[in-house]
Amino acid sequence: MKKLAAFVVLAVLAVGAGYWFATRIPASPFDSVGSATAPLPVERGEYAARLADCVACHSTEGGKAFTGGLAMGTPLGTIFSTNITPDRETGIGGYTLAQFDNAVRRGVAPDGRRLYPAMPHPSYAKMSDDDVRALYDYFLHHVPAVRQENRPTTIAWPLNMRWPLAFWNLAFADAGSYRPAPAHDEIWNRGAYLVQGPGHCGSCHTPRGLALQEVALDERDPRFLSGALLDGWYAPSLRNDHNTGLGRWSEEDVATFLKDGRNQHGVVFGSMMEAFNNSTQFMTDGDLAAIARYLKSLPGDAARDGAPWSYQAAAAPAPAGPMASGARIYAARCGFCHGSDGRGRNEWISPLAGASSVLALENASVINITLNGSGRVVAAGVPDAYRMPALRDQLSDGEIADVLTFIRGSWGNRAASVTAEEVRTLRELTNAASSDPIVLQMR
Amino acid sequence: MELTINGQTHQVDIEPDTPLLWVLRDELGMTGTKYGCGLAQCGACTVLVHGQATRSCVTPVETVAGAKIMTIEAIETDPVGQKVVEAWVAQQVPQCGYCQSGQVMAATALLKQSARPTDEEIAGAMVNLCRCGTYNAIAAAVREAAQA
Repeated sequence: MKKLAAFVVLAVLAVGAGYWFATRIPASPFDSVGSATAPLPVERGEYAARLADCVACHSTEGGKAFTGGLAMGTPLGTIFSTNITPDRETGIGGYTLAQFDNAVRRGVAPDGRRLYPAMPHPSYAKMSDDDVRALYDYFLHHVPAVRQENRPTTIAWPLNMRWPLAFWNLAFADAGSYRPAPAHDEIWNRGAYLVQGPGHCGSCHTPRGLALQEVALDERDPRFLSGALLDGWYAPSLRNDHNTGLGRWSEEDVATFLKDGRNQHGVVFGSMMEAFNNSTQFMTDGDLAAIARYLKSLPGDAARDGAPWSYQAAAAPAPAGPMASGARIYAARCGFCHGSDGRGRNEWISPLAGASSVLALENASVINITLNGSGRVVAAGVPDAYRMPALRDQLSDGEIADVLTFIRGSWGNRAASVTAEEVRTLRELTNAASSDPIVLQMR
Repeated sequence: MELTINGQTHQVDIEPDTPLLWVLRDELGMTGTKYGCGLAQCGACTVLVHGQATRSCVTPVETVAGAKIMTIEAIETDPVGQKVVEAWVAQQVPQCGYCQSGQVMAATALLKQSARPTDEEIAGAMVNLCRCGTYNAIAAAVREAAQA
């Protein structure tokens, strides 16, 4: 009897402690700071918001900036990003700096509710106090307040309870802002801060584990930024992989890509087009150079990457089979822009010979862009002159498979062939009118 | 930037990413090359660059500086081009005519690469669009030019 009583007491204590832990408000360095601070210049916070690309998720196409409402799919149901304008009732106008900090860096709302990690707080955790203060200032003092109710998630009870996320955070989120690595110089450390912290590059480029956590949050793990599949696109490796990563890019190439959206290796497309339009092009040259320095310090993995690519002129294709049919389709549909030699047109039109997205093991990106084309790249306010058109209504699944098999197997490219089945699957998933379209995934 | 078009050199001072089509039409006044879709889909803007059919609407002018460009204005100075034009007249191919300069350029490029194309090759290469539906006449003219 005594044992049972002791067990009950211990169990109650454990549940109580767990409940306390899972709903507690964490400490913030801003706990003692009032919210009535004098506004900073708009540029300071606006820049921090560009670095963190808040607008990407907290807006919908055609909606007002920062009012939220973007649907994101999770295995449990759909969640919606929230209104982060300073409206006091539907937005974050009532937040103190400490409450804002807890939401951004620790994923905890003012009422103790845990945020879904669709909010990349495991990355934002590394942001500096200064950047968080600047963000708060921007959202509270410079963004117009818009009254727009948040949409409830479609996740049903009991899976919609938020407290278990506290244990997810315990397992997968590092605490504490970025600490400079003394072995590296200031530029590298600034780059590491931007990539791991506000830039949250890993949200798309780092593979995710079973609990949807990014498997690595910094360069100590070779899987960090090693490439990942999401939303029907493959975000390629940002490590020094010769074929499928940034191995053949110089630091200058990386910085140019993020500043102009294009360089001689490729043009932004898919989800990166959005990251470019909303975020990277607004970064200073110094910050882009720092990102390039950091990324170029991440070693590639030759075992994963395969034999190094080098250009080879296309051999005469076999008289029959997918390569021959692909070559014909290429000449009629693709070669006009990408060139019969596959080398594109300077930085204006992407080469297909040696392009990392073409050589990647995952073929989602090449199928997706062939079906659906590329979005509008807007650099310095000017829309791009050359855009990949959607070919979904012009080419069949088999034709797309053949032409991609040809592209992935020509000019020195040695990537696996593409099947009509794979094209059919992605055609269905990227058709908004189908019964099963891709909903934007957590990022 | 220096462009070699129909054997003549032209100096143009223009943004490097301007499409070749606009340089031809707006800067140099060579309006035989037509604007159709602007997306490399219809072929109305086809010109030859080093003898290859090229959609000038999606060709950044910077990338053809120094290349040998031929437009519809000079197609009859080319022996293959001349045969194509004669066959086009003999078959009375054009109806409204808007796509036809592009069709002639595409046919010339095809016959330069393959002097005796099969019907399959013709169908595969002549993908330019024609709203009047002159496709049968186009194919017949290409076959006639190949025989000539």
